[in-house]
Amino acid sequence: MNKRATRVLLTCMCLSALLALSLTREAESAPPPAPAPTKAAPAREKTLDDYRHFRIATIDLTGRMPTREELAAFESPEFDYDAFVRAHLIGPGYSERLTRIYMDLLRLEPNVNFATTPAQLLRHEIIGPDGKPEWIYYREGQRRAREEVDGEFCLSPAETGVPIRPRMRTNEADSKKPVPKKALEDATVLVKPWWLYKDYDAQAPERRYQATWNDADPEYRPVEALVTGVDGKPVIHVRVCREEAQETENGHILTTGKTKQPPKLPGSRVRPLVLDSGYAQKHKGEPVACASKLALTSAADCGCGKGLARCVPGDSDQNGPAAFYFPNHTPLGPQEPIDSARQQAQRWFPHWWAREALAFLEDLFGEDRDFREILTGRHTFVNGPLAQFYGSVQRGNCCGPETGFGMTEEGEPLFDPHKVPADLRPHDTGTWRLVPDRGPHAAGILTMPMFLEKYASARARGALLYNAFLCKSFVADSSAQLTPSTEPNLMKRPGCSTCHATLEPLAAYFARVEPGSFVFLPQTLFPVQNAVCKKDKNGKMNGSCTALYDPAFADNTGATLRSAYGSPAHADATPAGAAHEIAESPEFASCAVERVTSSFLGRQTTPDDAPMLAELTQDFKKHGYKMRVLVAEIMRSPQYRRSNNLSGDAWRGGTDGGAGAPKGPPPVENVHGGSMGGAH
Amino acid sequence: MSRASSASTLAFVIASALSVAPIGCAREIPLKVQAAQAADLVPQDTVLQDTSHKEPPRMVPPEVYMRTYLTLFGGLSPLDAQKKARGGDGGNVFDSWNDYIASLGFPDYHVDIPRQMQTNALMVATFERLGVALCDRAVEHDLKSKIPVPVASRVIFAFDVPKGSTLPEPEFLPRYDVLHRTFLGYPARLGPDGRSRRFYALYTEIVKDQASALKAGQKLRFAPEEEGWAAVCYALVRHPEFHLY
Repeated sequence: MNKRATRVLLTCMCLSALLALSLTREAESAPPPAPAPTKAAPAREKTLDDYRHFRIATIDLTGRMPTREELAAFESPEFDYDAFVRAHLIGPGYSERLTRIYMDLLRLEPNVNFATTPAQLLRHEIIGPDGKPEWIYYREGQRRAREEVDGEFCLSPAETGVPIRPRMRTNEADSKKPVPKKALEDATVLVKPWWLYKDYDAQAPERRYQATWNDADPEYRPVEALVTGVDGKPVIHVRVCREEAQETENGHILTTGKTKQPPKLPGSRVRPLVLDSGYAQKHKGEPVACASKLALTSAADCGCGKGLARCVPGDSDQNGPAAFYFPNHTPLGPQEPIDSARQQAQRWFPHWWAREALAFLEDLFGEDRDFREILTGRHTFVNGPLAQFYGSVQRGNCCGPETGFGMTEEGEPLFDPHKVPADLRPHDTGTWRLVPDRGPHAAGILTMPMFLEKYASARARGALLYNAFLCKSFVADSSAQLTPSTEPNLMKRPGCSTCHATLEPLAAYFARVEPGSFVFLPQTLFPVQNAVCKKDKNGKMNGSCTALYDPAFADNTGATLRSAYGSPAHADATPAGAAHEIAESPEFASCAVERVTSSFLGRQTTPDDAPMLAELTQDFKKHGYKMRVLVAEIMRSPQYRRSNNLSGDAWRGGTDGGAGAPKGPPPVENVHGGSMGGAH
Repeated sequence: MSRASSASTLAFVIASALSVAPIGCAREIPLKVQAAQAADLVPQDTVLQDTSHKEPPRMVPPEVYMRTYLTLFGGLSPLDAQKKARGGDGGNVFDSWNDYIASLGFPDYHVDIPRQMQTNALMVATFERLGVALCDRAVEHDLKSKIPVPVASRVIFAFDVPKGSTLPEPEFLPRYDVLHRTFLGYPARLGPDGRSRRFYALYTEIVKDQASALKAGQKLRFAPEEEGWAAVCYALVRHPEFHLY
């Protein structure tokens, strides 16, 4: 028989085995074996069920099957099951095992891109004065003092030969021309940026990536196009539009005095001028934080900071410019990736948001913290990219319609930028620091960007809480005959109320966190009932109000904050209020116990398990909601030993007529093919 | 048969049936209930009913499968194991983990795909491909290395394999036990009756076939006795008991 034929034969055998196995699953078995003492009696020879129990425990605690050496230790008369469990409740396999239970529920990995315009540096290729191509970094919408290029690329079409703007595809080859040296020097500067220099914030940065900076974190890998120049040589410095290279923390509101488009656009400008907004006219010359979104659109004296540290590079100005390599999949955890892919700049921060959530969960279980902290904990862990994000990039996520209410920059962010460790640099991907308190509104995973972006609406956030942490589901009332309704209150509308009477008050907890975002709307500027947003004589609300307040719950006296109508009190309680209510509810502990027990037993719990669950819940609460105690109790329980209790003999088909064996003739085993009764 | 002819056949059958059937209803037979002396019911037998929950073994989580696989590969990282599994054969033996993670049943939280809790045909095929890669590379590492690998350092075949001969059953069994423990987690003696015998038959048949092929001038990657052990490895690494717990 040749090798290929052998493989085909063995495949058939395995498929047959699985088929036979699925059939024997239906078989009834005799009463379960009596629970063995947790400490194996030295004199007794180990049975197949003993080995099976040990294999299950090893899989649950180490995340892999037992090795030959571990089996040998198990076979030793001195083997102590309790000691084995205790020893492995502190390993990485244990925390990974528990994290998996909650990651399966929460699925905290991103399918989102995130790019705040103020933080995204784009790149375009021009022809330099010497006729050679050259790259220039710029930001979309950057305000500039020069009218011809205000809000545009810093060199005019007359200087480059073509208009340059993001995502524009033109045939530039024919019309591009060398940029005059003076124009280039006036409009741009050379910078040693953070993604190339470890010491980018030094007076004269020297430690260049892959040159004198050879110990970069393994997870920090810029794409080749960022470290290699257009001439194929290593990049020493990058050319950046002058405004983007500014380092100041604060700028000033710019006004041009133009509120209408002139009959003729200045110079070679092809797009309309940026006109003075109402806000700019009112606040002319006032200071503005350069990290804010307002600074990009209202200040010509704000840039990306020292070493461009407030911005993230992209290798083009087309859709989805690339920036870094990182894995698409890490099925065994971040330390063991299975690939490394060239990724878009917009995926950089979402990648680290997911890692933050994972680090939080692994710490929660690894350090055996009070499980309620999954919702109530104000701490978190950040590395370099997250420090960059929380320290400056997230500030650029605000503010648009909020400026109409007087909020030009987040006043009460969910993660206070001042709490970011100062010593973390954007490329410190492998250095994680504990942040003991993110701020007064922090609430476990509920206020992490990963959670808020994954569950973008207030209702999605509320529903997840209800399901994952209270083990409850929404079941629609199908008995009522529905009639068309214009009732905006879903807690009252027939057919909706059965679910929404519960869901809307839960969703209200998230009314102060903008949907699809993590901008926090403080109570002082955004009261639940806001008279400023009343409807006018035509029944309309102004633009800023429509974005944040609900026209369906507005009248001529005011409007209700979006998602808050279910419970104004909950809206003011914020996600932290939800965390406390859920964590203190009686169902929280029982739900956690049920989820973990079910996972370890490998099946749904049934009414037969109620006494065990009640006892475990009581102990779980008594021991301060510590998972380690819970898991140890589960693993010592007879139910755990009997889990998947169709014993080896039974599911094999019962050739020895043992305790677990179903009656009937034993199936034929044939290693050369045919039915194997579940085994070779 | 056409619709018209089937209709006429049906009419004929009904008519025939009516012609032989008795006309009217059967005669009523009056029921007679005999009085008996009142007494307690006498228990006839006692049946013990086991109402405890029964569950068959479940699928090993894909994380556990992959981590075990890497451990069997010598404790390598996924990317190193991939490189080693591909060896000089490109994608003929092993493609890439990215090609396998979905079929192994891993969840994909990015797009909310839950983990697979049951096997399917594609998953079984993946188990086969990965298993064959593991066993082939293990033969290369443990048995074919230019510098012989000490038994203690062998990843799978932690026993000596005498060259050029088929082992007699008593010598086969302790070696088979090593593999049985490695993959299934218990000694071969606790396996079902006849399993060891069948594995020995498989081993001898493969060694014999490969020896014949070699004699016939066929070029083989492994020696016949190595092929025999590789076949035992293939069978165990894809065994349902390996994938369930």
